[in-house]
Amino acid sequence: MRTIDDFTRPLEYLSPLDRYLGEIGRKWADTEVIPIRRDFDEDWEHHKLIEPCFRSLQAEIGFQRMLFPEDLGGWGLGHSGYMGTGAARLFEEVARADSGMAVAFGVLFWPLVMICVEPHVNRRLCEEFAPMFMESRPVFAANAMTEPQGGADIENMEIVGGSTIQTTAVLEGDEWVINGHKLWPTNSGGVADLFGVVCTTNPGSKDPDDLAFIFVPAKTPGCTQGGPYEKAGMAADKNSDIWFDNVRVPSWFRACGPGLDALYFKEVVSLGNLGSLAFVSGAMMNVWEILRDFTSETTFRGKPLKENDDVAGVLANFAGGVDIIRVLTYQYARMLDRPDLYGDRWSEEIVAKGRAYKYFACDKAVEDLKKVMNLMGAHGSDRAHDVEKHWRDIKIVQLWMGGKQLCQMEVARWFYECETL
Amino acid sequence: MRYQELFPVPIEWLQDSDRSMVETISLWAEQEVKSKRLEHKEDYEGLLLPAMRKLFLDIGLQSMMLPEELGGGGIDSPDAAVTTTAVLEQVAAADSGIGFLFANALALQYALAISPNKSAEPLKEAAPVFTGGDIALCSLVLPAYGSDTKERPRYYGLDYPATAVKTGAGWVVSGGPARPQCCGATASIFGVVCDLGDGTPGMLIVPAGAKGVKKGKPFKKTGLAASVNADVTFKDVKVPGSALVLEGIEALRAVLSWYYMACAAVCAGSLQTTHEILQEWGDTRVIKGKGQVFKENPLVASLMGEIGGKMGTSRLLTYNLARMLSRPDVYGPAGAGSLHVSAISAFKQVGRMAMEAMDNTMELMASAGYATEWNLERYWRDVKTVETYVVPETVAQTCMARQYFNLKQL
Repeated sequence: MRTIDDFTRPLEYLSPLDRYLGEIGRKWADTEVIPIRRDFDEDWEHHKLIEPCFRSLQAEIGFQRMLFPEDLGGWGLGHSGYMGTGAARLFEEVARADSGMAVAFGVLFWPLVMICVEPHVNRRLCEEFAPMFMESRPVFAANAMTEPQGGADIENMEIVGGSTIQTTAVLEGDEWVINGHKLWPTNSGGVADLFGVVCTTNPGSKDPDDLAFIFVPAKTPGCTQGGPYEKAGMAADKNSDIWFDNVRVPSWFRACGPGLDALYFKEVVSLGNLGSLAFVSGAMMNVWEILRDFTSETTFRGKPLKENDDVAGVLANFAGGVDIIRVLTYQYARMLDRPDLYGDRWSEEIVAKGRAYKYFACDKAVEDLKKVMNLMGAHGSDRAHDVEKHWRDIKIVQLWMGGKQLCQMEVARWFYECETL
Repeated sequence: MRYQELFPVPIEWLQDSDRSMVETISLWAEQEVKSKRLEHKEDYEGLLLPAMRKLFLDIGLQSMMLPEELGGGGIDSPDAAVTTTAVLEQVAAADSGIGFLFANALALQYALAISPNKSAEPLKEAAPVFTGGDIALCSLVLPAYGSDTKERPRYYGLDYPATAVKTGAGWVVSGGPARPQCCGATASIFGVVCDLGDGTPGMLIVPAGAKGVKKGKPFKKTGLAASVNADVTFKDVKVPGSALVLEGIEALRAVLSWYYMACAAVCAGSLQTTHEILQEWGDTRVIKGKGQVFKENPLVASLMGEIGGKMGTSRLLTYNLARMLSRPDVYGPAGAGSLHVSAISAFKQVGRMAMEAMDNTMELMASAGYATEWNLERYWRDVKTVETYVVPETVAQTCMARQYFNLKQL
């Protein structure tokens, strides 16, 4: 019988850890999440069902430590040369079960990329924060970027250059004093233990030196999180408002320093695009599994649904889409793993191509999922089959990180050398 | 400018009484649903049921298509197609789930009360349910995919949800578990499409309280919170002879044509609120890096243009279908192959355009598009649920191909 492992990946790109990451992730998904995920929607606020799944994945298996250097208790993925392909495999397996969990899990590494990944490892901050992630409970981090009015404008680095950031960081002695209001970070709403906060040291400035990426432990006085927002899906991903009111942290909590924070922040965007691709790939493979079973067990015109030519046409288009998205995911992961061949992960080219692949994959997945739901009739929107869950979740993947229009601008800007957009 | 003026339909098809009803329902939508939405979200007991009581009982939508002499609203001629479309649009603009429930009621009442179906005995039997002072939800139970390959009569490849056997003066209905179109757990009446024994379809009215009707546990679904749905089993349910409200393929197709029209109106109505939401978003957001009001950005504007085009076309298609169904003297009977397929085609097209317009609106709103606070996502989930429930895509496509290209075997 065909399985999801029959979908194509460029095998020569894969991490030596690929098989183990895949097997562990698959087993966790099959035993701990898929049997109960149908009730996650009602658990969006309190995470009574969801939290134990995170505990198992992050603390008991220990994935939350994997980015840190080995001598600090981590697995050294940040300097392995396989961060991209390794992450893609693991995120795929998690998203196959639940892409809300996948994003919450993936985002715990997002701010840590600024300090744990070669060539910009900040050893002192790694030492500071590693113990937190070695604990025997699920620990989360979050990137506080988006702000009210203007949304993800700050991710539009090429044009806006940080000039719209209203969260300020002022150096007073050997401390940063941070003030501002952020919206929407994954793992907010009381979840995160550590924030990476995108600030400006000079409001209105486009000078890259003035963009600061500063770490703020969530328990720091003056840092307040609101309650989680209710959303169309992704119950495992909590988002909320965060306020920074005269929050003081040591001056060395700045990730990389003037100019470099702005530079490596673009790498965060690239990795966000890789995560998004892997989430889509994992979710789509699960839909393929569901569809395989549904169209074998359900009959139309007196024969199994899949044995009808018109249905087979829809199934073929869907499977082809899954295969393409998976190949694209690993191709981009490889590009991030081999900057010597493809360019820096923070380069305009890599960011633009990541945006292009991400929105292509999301658009394709959303359209294909709609067709699958229409094919399944009432069962397509029935939560018992989980297809509708993936549809809601993937729609969210399509819209985050600034939405589609921002993706389009970055892609056009690089491929067509637009100068004013 | 009001939505109806922004996206006009041939206004000569609407009567003054239709406009008056639209105003009444708009007021209901604002007072009973929209103004309470932030507080109650999609809560059934706290928001939807009280709103339905007001709409179905106090305003009287529940019985509007029954004859006046039986206590109904007397809108019981084919003209009701345009009237109900205008009404449904406003109901769905408030809550597409409530709109979908009304669409089911409308289809069932069409089978009962609209000429040429009008038949005194079934009407007299059923009318008290609708006029008795309690809320009476209706659900169609339609042919669906099956679970085995046994040879048996089918309705265009789909299995009948039940069979009805004539016994003396009455019928015995058996079948299921079947998935009703809506509110399986709360319906008062089911309109069950049955195999009458020789492959001939018939629709029988089965009261939910009849002996042998067993409702399953309510199940979870993407949207339509107003519809508390559950699978239903019919075990040797005895109903009177008058329960058979239609017989034969053409009669069933006629009911389905009206149902498709009603569901198209639900989708079109949902777009009305989508427009309101996007209008506010486009007016109040700023692309700060450019110091530009959101809607004034050319890329945003191009997508808004697409969305607006789909809104306008959806209304036009829906009202045109309603007009065609309201004038059998001009366009032929609702169950005739050509009109029936036009109804399928219009519904599928309107549903698809509504989904595309909502998808695009969500894209423009980014995270706010999927946050419940902004309300768009509930319409998006509702319309997708309607699209999947009403007719599986492949069945609709086959029906259209059969008519448009004269297929002989499918």
